Amino acid sequence: MRIEKCYFCSGPVYPGHGTMFVRNDCKNFRFCKSKCLKNFKKKRNPRKTRWTKAFRKASGKELTVDNCLEFEKRRNVAVKYQRALWSKTVEAMKVVEGIKQKRQARFILNRLRKGKQLEKEEAIQEVKKNIHLIKAPHAGKAKIMEEKMVQKLQEDVEMDD
Amino acid sequence: MAVSRSFCGFLAVIPSLTQQKAFSVSASVAAIQKLTRVRVVDNSSLGNTPHHRSPRVIHVYTKNGFGKVGDRVLLAIKGQKKKALIVGQKMPGERMSPRFDSNNVVLIEDNGNPTGTRIKVPIPTHLRKMEGDYSKLLAIANRFV
Repeated sequence: MRIEKCYFCSGPVYPGHGTMFVRNDCKNFRFCKSKCLKNFKKKRNPRKTRWTKAFRKASGKELTVDNCLEFEKRRNVAVKYQRALWSKTVEAMKVVEGIKQKRQARFILNRLRKGKQLEKEEAIQEVKKNIHLIKAPHAGKAKIMEEKMVQKLQEDVEMDD
Repeated sequence: MAVSRSFCGFLAVIPSLTQQKAFSVSASVAAIQKLTRVRVVDNSSLGNTPHHRSPRVIHVYTKNGFGKVGDRVLLAIKGQKKKALIVGQKMPGERMSPRFDSNNVVLIEDNGNPTGTRIKVPIPTHLRKMEGDYSKLLAIANRFV
């Protein structure tokens, strides 16, 4: 039993689900649901269809190169069954899955952090531009008065000298 | 079910190094019936030598005239009659069986033995469960799907 990947959206295809199409060059295409099949028949490119994993990886929105993703790659090598190896692998799979999810989340977080910074700068620019809308009519006038008084006092002092 | 016999589908010619093999890619998505053009997928000489007419079904050995995967048919190839077994159809069949891009057929003798010695095209695995002696056919198949 094997959980296959949908050709279009890269989602999991569990046994008993989905459809398969065999092309005349003997390449199999598995689809998890009819949505993916219909898009395939419409000859849409999954790398350009925004909701697919293929698009997200191709456009750098998700983690692509990482050691934890190497575990998912298919190996066409048969391994002789050993009970110890089997149980160890299952444990390792749990650990790797945890690490992978954390790394993927971290990648997306870092990607979106830039957006927060840009948002902040944009907000500052907007406030500066529209300061006249929110500035109180007498704001800053006390300070200007103070400076004028200081200047006047200085002039008086100079005049006396 | 509308029985439409389209004579005017066009033949696709795949350029290959050794020989030209043409099979039907017309839009028909029905099961296999009389006069459907089929693609012979074994390595028999009858099935692979070029002819000015593609192999066609002239009789389907079922109660109704429609052949699905696992049914026997009579083909007209190179001016001769030959029995064959359907191993892949364009029409969606059983829920969990694959759909093929062409109607594939394997040539068979009257006693059920395959004419060719190897089948390189993927064969559906649900043939194993089907009633009927397909063991010789499955023995010469390379890939299963």
